[in-house]
Amino acid sequence: MVRALKTLVVEDEMAIALLIEDMLLDMGHSVVGLAMRLQPALQLARTADIDFAILDINLDGQMSFPVADALTARGVPFAFASGYGPAGLEPDYKQHPVIKKPFGAKDLARVIERAGPDAG
Amino acid sequence: MPERQDKAEPASRFPVGGGEMGVLIRGFDWSATSLGPISTWPPCLRTATDIVLQSPLPLVMLWGPDGVMIYNDAYSGFAGQRHPRLLGSKVLEGWAEVADFNAQVMEVGLAGGTLSFKDQELTLYRNNRAEQVWMDLNYGPVLDENGDPAGVLAIVVETTGRIEAERRRATAEQQVRDSEARLRALVNATNDVVYRMSGDWVEMKPLDGRGFLTSQDSPSVAWMDQNVFAEDQAAIWAVIRQAIETRSTFQLEHRVRRADGSPGWTSSRAIPIEDGNGEIAEWFGAASDVTARRQAEDHLRLVVNELNHRVKNNLAMIQAIGAQTFRAASDVADAEANFSERISALAKANDLLTHEHWTDVALREIVAGAVRPYSGDGDIRCSLGGPEVRLSAKTAMSMAMACHELVTNAVKYGAWSNAEGWVNIVWSIDDTPGGRRLRFEWREQGGPPVAAPSRRGFGSRLIERGLSAELEGEVRLTFEPTGVVCAIDAPIRPAAGE
Repeated sequence: MVRALKTLVVEDEMAIALLIEDMLLDMGHSVVGLAMRLQPALQLARTADIDFAILDINLDGQMSFPVADALTARGVPFAFASGYGPAGLEPDYKQHPVIKKPFGAKDLARVIERAGPDAG
Repeated sequence: MPERQDKAEPASRFPVGGGEMGVLIRGFDWSATSLGPISTWPPCLRTATDIVLQSPLPLVMLWGPDGVMIYNDAYSGFAGQRHPRLLGSKVLEGWAEVADFNAQVMEVGLAGGTLSFKDQELTLYRNNRAEQVWMDLNYGPVLDENGDPAGVLAIVVETTGRIEAERRRATAEQQVRDSEARLRALVNATNDVVYRMSGDWVEMKPLDGRGFLTSQDSPSVAWMDQNVFAEDQAAIWAVIRQAIETRSTFQLEHRVRRADGSPGWTSSRAIPIEDGNGEIAEWFGAASDVTARRQAEDHLRLVVNELNHRVKNNLAMIQAIGAQTFRAASDVADAEANFSERISALAKANDLLTHEHWTDVALREIVAGAVRPYSGDGDIRCSLGGPEVRLSAKTAMSMAMACHELVTNAVKYGAWSNAEGWVNIVWSIDDTPGGRRLRFEWREQGGPPVAAPSRRGFGSRLIERGLSAELEGEVRLTFEPTGVVCAIDAPIRPAAGE
C-alpha cells in the first residue's frame, strides 16, 4: 500500500484541478495546496509542507518551470502534466516524468511511483 | 566645222594616263559632241580634263552650255551601269531623273557661282532600279582663256553608306531607349526591389530599396551585411555559390533586414547575364517583400498549435466534468442530464470566448449568458448590475462554469424553482490598501425555504474550492434560509496577455 503523501496540485484548468484532487484523495493522499496561477504556485512550492507535486506546464500563458526549480531546490519530487506531452518540455527539464493530458487515476498513480517520492 | 566630221581622227595622245577613263576619252568620238574633235580642244578644256583624270576623288566636268560629261575612274564607279554611256553625254539627258537639279547647277555654274550640298538626297536609276542615295556635292565653274565660265566641275562624294549606317545606329539607339523605357516601366509596375550584382556577387550595383530594403546610392561590397542578419548569411552564400557554379537562376526565400532595421522576408530571384565571351557579366534580380505572407504562415502555425492544445484541454475538461458528475451520482439519468448541461455550458462559454477572440471578456456577458436560459418563462426574474470588469479568457471560463452551477441549483431547488423567486446579482470594484478588489454577490430570495445540504456536491466544490483558486480570492457559498448566497472577494488582476 502506498504511503499517504502531502501533495501540491498546480493546474490552471479548474475542472481538471478538481479532478486531480479527487484522484489523489481517492488514492489516500492529501492535497495541501491547489494553485492555478504561477505566483500562488511559486509561493506554495517554496513554503508548503509537501512530499510531491503535479505541475501543469502552461499556467494561463506562463511556463511553470520556476515552480519546478523551486521544488528541485527543496528536493521535492514532482511530475509535469501537459497536453503536449514530453514535447512541451524545455531541454533542461527532460529528465522529469511527464503525464499526458487527459489522464486517468492509474496513469497518475504510475507517474507518482516513477517520480519516486521518498517513503520516509 | 563640218569638214572635220569627214575624216577619221587619228588616235589622240591626249590626255596622258588617266586610267580606264583616259583610254575611253582618248578613243571617244568627240566630234559628235558640242566639244568637237579632241585635237581642237582649247587649252583650258585640256587642262581641266587632266585635272579630272588625275584626281583620286570622284570628279565630273560638265562642259559647255549643254554640260557634256567628262569624268574620272572614281566617278565611273559611282555611275554604276550608266557608265560608260554617260561619257560625252549631256548631263540633263545622262541623268534624266535629276534633270531639274542639274539644270540649276548648270545655270549657277555657268554664271560663275558655286554650289555645295551636304548629304543631298537623290533618287537615281543607275542600276535599272530606284535607289535612294546621299551625296556631298560641290560645284564650281571652270574658266576659259578669257576668264569666262565654260564648264562646271563637280566633286561627287557618295555618302549613302555613312547615312545608312547613321540611320541604322539611330534606329538601334531608339530601340535600346524603348527597351529601357519598357524595363523601367516594368520595374515601376511591380513592387519588387530590382537589384544587380557583379558576376561573383561581391558587389551590388546602386539599389532603390523602395522602402522595403535600404537604398544604396553607390555600388556596395557590404550589401550582405547591410541586408542580411549574420546568422542567415552562410545559407544564402551557399545558394549563391551553387547558382554561380551551375550558371543557373538564383532563387531563395530568405530573411532580410528591412530598411527600418526590423526582420522581414523576401522571395528573391536572379538570372545571370553573359558578356560576349560567355562569362557572367552580372546578375539581374528581383526581390519581392513576402513578409506579410510569412507572418500569416507563422501565425497560422501558431493558431494550429494553439487549437490542438485547446482541443486536448477541452477533452481533459470533459473528462474531468464527466468523472466528477458520475462519481457522486445516485441516479444515472440525473447524472446524464447534469453532464449534458455542464458540457452545454462549457460550449456556450467557448462560443463567447471565440467571439471575443480568446482575449478578455466582460463579467456581465458571462453572467448574463449563464442566467439567460433559466431566468423565467419569458420574464427575467433577476437583476444584474455592476461596473465594467474584464476577465481573462481562462478566468472567464471558470466563472461561466461556476455561474452554471448556481443557475442549475436555483432552477432545481432555489429561487427559480417556484413562481416568485428572484436573484439579485451585483458587483463592485473596491479600492483597498492591497489593491483593487472585485466584490460580487449572487443572492436568491423568494424561493422555497432553504436547508443546507448534508453533502457538498461537485457544484459546491467547483465554486468554493475551484473558483477561489482561480480568482486567488475568497468564494463563499452559504445556504441562508431566505436563499443561497454566493459571495466573491478577489483581487482584480490584469487580464493575461495585457
